[in-house]
Amino acid sequence: MAEEKTVIRVKNLYKIFSLGKEKVKALNGVDLEIKKGEFVAICGTSGSGKSTLLNMLSGLEKPTKGEIVVAGTHIEHMSENELVRFRREHVGFIFQAYNLIKSMDAVENVALPLIFRGVRREKRNRMAKEMLKALGVEKISGHMPSEMSGGQQQRVGIARALVIHPEIIFADEPTGNLDSATAKDVLELMQRIVHEEKQTLVMVTHDGYLASFADRIVRISDGRIVKSIKVENEKEWE
Amino acid sequence: MRISDLFSMSFASLRRRKLRSVLTILGVVIGIASIVIMISLGLGMSQQAMEQIDQYGGIKTVTITEGNSSDSASDRKAVEYKLDDELVERIEKMDHVETVSPVLLFDCVIKDGRYTYRGWGCQAYRLDALKNMGWEFDEGGWPKEGDELKFVYGNLYQIRFYTDSGNDGYWDTGIMPDVDAMKDSLFMIFDTEAYESYNSKNNEKELPMVIEEESGGADGEADVKSTSPPKRYMIPTAGVLFGNHGDEDYWRDYTGGVYCDIEPLLKLLKREFKGKVIPGQPTRKNGSAFRKIYYDEIYVKMDDYNYVKDFQKEIQDLGYNTSSNTEWIEETQEQARSMQAMLGGIGAISLLVAAIGIANTMMMSIYERTKEIGIFKVLGCDLKDIGAQFLIEAALIGLIGGVLGNVLSIIAMIVINTVTEAKTSLIPVWLALVGLLFAVLIGTVSGFFPARRAMRLSALNALRNE
Repeated sequence: MAEEKTVIRVKNLYKIFSLGKEKVKALNGVDLEIKKGEFVAICGTSGSGKSTLLNMLSGLEKPTKGEIVVAGTHIEHMSENELVRFRREHVGFIFQAYNLIKSMDAVENVALPLIFRGVRREKRNRMAKEMLKALGVEKISGHMPSEMSGGQQQRVGIARALVIHPEIIFADEPTGNLDSATAKDVLELMQRIVHEEKQTLVMVTHDGYLASFADRIVRISDGRIVKSIKVENEKEWE
Repeated sequence: MRISDLFSMSFASLRRRKLRSVLTILGVVIGIASIVIMISLGLGMSQQAMEQIDQYGGIKTVTITEGNSSDSASDRKAVEYKLDDELVERIEKMDHVETVSPVLLFDCVIKDGRYTYRGWGCQAYRLDALKNMGWEFDEGGWPKEGDELKFVYGNLYQIRFYTDSGNDGYWDTGIMPDVDAMKDSLFMIFDTEAYESYNSKNNEKELPMVIEEESGGADGEADVKSTSPPKRYMIPTAGVLFGNHGDEDYWRDYTGGVYCDIEPLLKLLKREFKGKVIPGQPTRKNGSAFRKIYYDEIYVKMDDYNYVKDFQKEIQDLGYNTSSNTEWIEETQEQARSMQAMLGGIGAISLLVAAIGIANTMMMSIYERTKEIGIFKVLGCDLKDIGAQFLIEAALIGLIGGVLGNVLSIIAMIVINTVTEAKTSLIPVWLALVGLLFAVLIGTVSGFFPARRAMRLSALNALRNE
């Protein structure tokens, strides 16, 4: 896919936390390029820095040093306001804990990012319902999160991420709270949609099997990228 | 975000925490109601005071009296600034002057059968000034333009009648003297000095009926058969002013007064005292009368209360003395203001408590919704929209509290006014609107810091919050 343009480019990224006198390097010089339409799994053990990397790519955390270019713009020096707008326009989020709003039903939850974009009620509800249908959970449209199973909740969560048709979707352990059968279903769903829509998906996971659904696995350890593997031909890729 | 979405989300958030919202709103209701009721009481008192002042001579009325520059105040010859027709005309041309009338105060003795009324300080005005007083009548009305001299009596005029033996007036017996100005024939003696001296000479006996009245006399003047007793005139009664119920509590500015049109009075006096000095008029040094009439007062009614003070100043600069109810009004208003400030202050304390309640509720709301705020931020909700949601929520608490507070105040007003049988509490539209605005303002201000806190929450930390 060399002809595809780069959507995310990270150069020499550092994140250093100060814990008392000790300095912890969560990220220790990361370089990474992700192309449009790619499904990348960032894989690593707990504390490897994979979540920190994802937070920086999505502008939730600021790097200590380095460059992050997402969708053609540098986000490392953006103000909080700019970051919020950037996420609203370019990014979809899928969380491990689903993070649905408990007081809203499925349709309202999916329509939430559209509210922030100022989409009218009728239009956003229609879009949300279409998205729920595409994910095969239209029958729970009126259910509250407390009335859904984990898999259903995550499908609603995915619908919420996809409803704005973002260029990039970030997923942090999206199947971490699901049983393995459901996890497989959800991942296959994500895989299919991303490929159909030519969207870029960056997923963080500690599970090698789940990572194998991605086009490419980036293995991270002690704040450094140690391996980058293309899954399709199992060939190592620098 | 669309404004409508901001409002519906804020409203939904209020509804989600019903009990707490209701309690917080209740705080605002009590706060606003206490302020509005307190101020309404102050307004009612001030209004009542103004109405009272209005009954006692009006708030736009100025009385001009002659000024004296010399120290011999009692000597009328030394008075420099007398009130004459020239001055009346001059005042008529001044700005904001609605009605002007020269006022002649005169004494006369009024007799009705065995009853006598020593009418000191009967007042003669121009007819339009009298009509301007806004007084109402129990019987009759003002004389008409060009009428012969007719008198108008204040309510309770009977109180002033005594028999010549004394000791049997209303204040002695508690019984109203049997005098009916409308039905009886009343006789007036303008030369009171002559009457008194004649009376004392005749051992205070009843004035002998030496004078016969002309029954159809156009001016009511009587033929004189004897020169020794003073002339008596039969003056018809034009009307009796409102409040003549035999109730001594119904006291008015005009109660016990006698009023008449100045034009026919002057005509009569000039004829009666031809070549002599009209009683009460100043004289030249040699004791002879002036050719023109000098008035005791000039009555002026302004078209606006706010010009009264300036007008008084202008007239005083000319050398005359003026009086009006301005000082009384200002004093009353000053009292009302301090009363309102005090009462409003008491109400303000409860509103302050309500404001703290709102802020507290909003802070609680933020703690509970920390995760939600985090999700909103990650999903791209504008910071100002997050702040706006909390501000609107706080303002809604204020608004609902303000509306209900006004409703409560109006109910309280009705109850208070019914119980006191007066307009003790007064809620004008502006007060209700100010109360409402204040409630929304208090809500918004109380919501400001919580809203800012919500905006500053770190999205990542908020997300990790459980």
